[in-house]
Amino acid sequence: MNHQKIDWSQLWQPGPTRVFSDAELARAGDQRPSRTLLTMVMINMALVSMAVMQAAPPRATALLTGILAAAAFASLRLGQRLWRKPSRRLLTVCTVALVLGCGVVAALARLRNGDAEVRQWALYTCWGVALLASFGFWFLAVYRADQIAARLRELDERERAIEMARQLAAAQIQPHFLFNSLASLQHWVEAKDDRAAPMLAALTGFLRTTLPLFNQTRLRLGDEAQAVRQYFEVMRLRLGERLSYRIAIEPAAAEVQVPPGLLLTLAENAIEHGVQASLAGGPVLLSAGVAAGRLTVDMLDPGAGPAADAGEGVGLVNSRTRLMQAFGPSATITVSAVPGGGGLARIECPAPTTTTQP
Amino acid sequence: MNPTVLIADDEEAPRAQLQAALQRVWPEADIVAVCANGVDAWDAFLEHDPAVCFLDIRMPGLSGIDVAQRIGSRAAIVFVTAYGDHALAAFDAGAVDYVMKPVDDARLTQAVARARQRGLLPAAPIAGLADMLAELAAQVRRPAPLVVIQAGIGKEVRMIRTEDVVYFESDSRYTRVVYRADGSDGEALIRTPLKELLAQLDAQQFWQVHRSVIVSQRHIASAVRVDEGNMHLLLRGRSERLPVSRHFQGLFKGQ
Repeated sequence: MNHQKIDWSQLWQPGPTRVFSDAELARAGDQRPSRTLLTMVMINMALVSMAVMQAAPPRATALLTGILAAAAFASLRLGQRLWRKPSRRLLTVCTVALVLGCGVVAALARLRNGDAEVRQWALYTCWGVALLASFGFWFLAVYRADQIAARLRELDERERAIEMARQLAAAQIQPHFLFNSLASLQHWVEAKDDRAAPMLAALTGFLRTTLPLFNQTRLRLGDEAQAVRQYFEVMRLRLGERLSYRIAIEPAAAEVQVPPGLLLTLAENAIEHGVQASLAGGPVLLSAGVAAGRLTVDMLDPGAGPAADAGEGVGLVNSRTRLMQAFGPSATITVSAVPGGGGLARIECPAPTTTTQP
Repeated sequence: MNPTVLIADDEEAPRAQLQAALQRVWPEADIVAVCANGVDAWDAFLEHDPAVCFLDIRMPGLSGIDVAQRIGSRAAIVFVTAYGDHALAAFDAGAVDYVMKPVDDARLTQAVARARQRGLLPAAPIAGLADMLAELAAQVRRPAPLVVIQAGIGKEVRMIRTEDVVYFESDSRYTRVVYRADGSDGEALIRTPLKELLAQLDAQQFWQVHRSVIVSQRHIASAVRVDEGNMHLLLRGRSERLPVSRHFQGLFKGQ
């Protein structure tokens, strides 16, 4: 919403502008009014009534009690409806209904009563009730609309967080990767091929280094690079001469604390889109260094780089979100095509100086 | 005659495992081609015309889905995939058969029985198959089509725009590129095999009409049936005729 622009319609029809759909109300509008709120409303109503009774002459008490009780009953019922559906339209309807009701009561009291002072008091009470209730309705609708909007935002955020956690969990070990690796392993065991033992060792190493990674919110870049090395080793055994790899992490870069899963995501993308998708395959290079307080991680693959028309995968988008959550907007992940051939994924983020450096 | 089988998987071990398992559960099958990518698989299909094709889904060049789309209902297709593949849900709908890696003998026997049964029926389009494959193909990430071809001629590298190409023809170790640019005809030889080129071209513009010929459909003037099995193409403003092999004659059927 544009807060700079004055919404003049609030002048003749005040109230919340957001209109909630039935689905939104069902999702976020199921809370009951709190006991505190109800108690405060009751106390205020009682105080106002007592003040009116005190000021009014005793002969008007019966009539005023009737008017106040009816008004309290009507405004609570209307307030209940507004609570369930705090729309500007319903607010207008409720306010108009209440004001009209007060008008009718005031007119009746005038006809039926000969005492001028009692008539005067009845009229004042009606208008006072109408004024207070209108203001109360307006406050209720605005408060309630804000509450539902906030609840919707909260639910959305929670869903996003759950989705991120789910995808992070899925990113730990791709079942596709695991079963394809087991297929190779099974064949080599059956065929008594010499590659079975190193394959089993690399796969075990990968699982051992990868599984604990995701229990942490931050980990040393060097630790994740170790998991990536095991991953590359499994893939090198599987793909044969289509893949060769090199990992070059500077000591200072290895100590930087990063959110888990970033390097593995880049490594999986490099293998899947850069190596496995190309007929010839080629080398993959992971390098990381720190310069001027910033960490740069490069994953270079022999592929064609990002397709111009295709969007980015969920893995990359999630990684970027997690990186920005950890380091703020100056942290970036970019993917590009390298002139002369190859795809490059680059992470850049601040590298907080660590005390573990000698 | 023994039933013929094609196997394609880009990884050596699963490929060999499937081959060994097939030989166990279906000894009379004749494995005519074992391919390491989609491009080779399609080429081998054209060469051997196998009855059953076992295709891995994720392969370089052409994916298993791409190859299956080209084969259509001309052979029984069995996809070979690993748990966690996004395509699994589509297969569960039942349009085609699939086996999961690592392949186990019992499940493979079942798939073989189904494929053989299908082989006995006349080649009829399977309901929903084309739609399912089209949907799956849309999910496969593929590189942008080739825009320019660099052909070395002596000391010169000629830049031939693909839109100027009339046709490509396989010529033993090379691919002959016949094109027409700026009003004059030209020819060049490139080293990229035709089957690899196929995966990089825009399939709407370039039609494969023979195992060794890909032609730009804009330059086709007419297709002429010579006799029962033979057809050839006449090109606009050119005298040569290009052969259309049996597999591709369905492209030209009149409306």
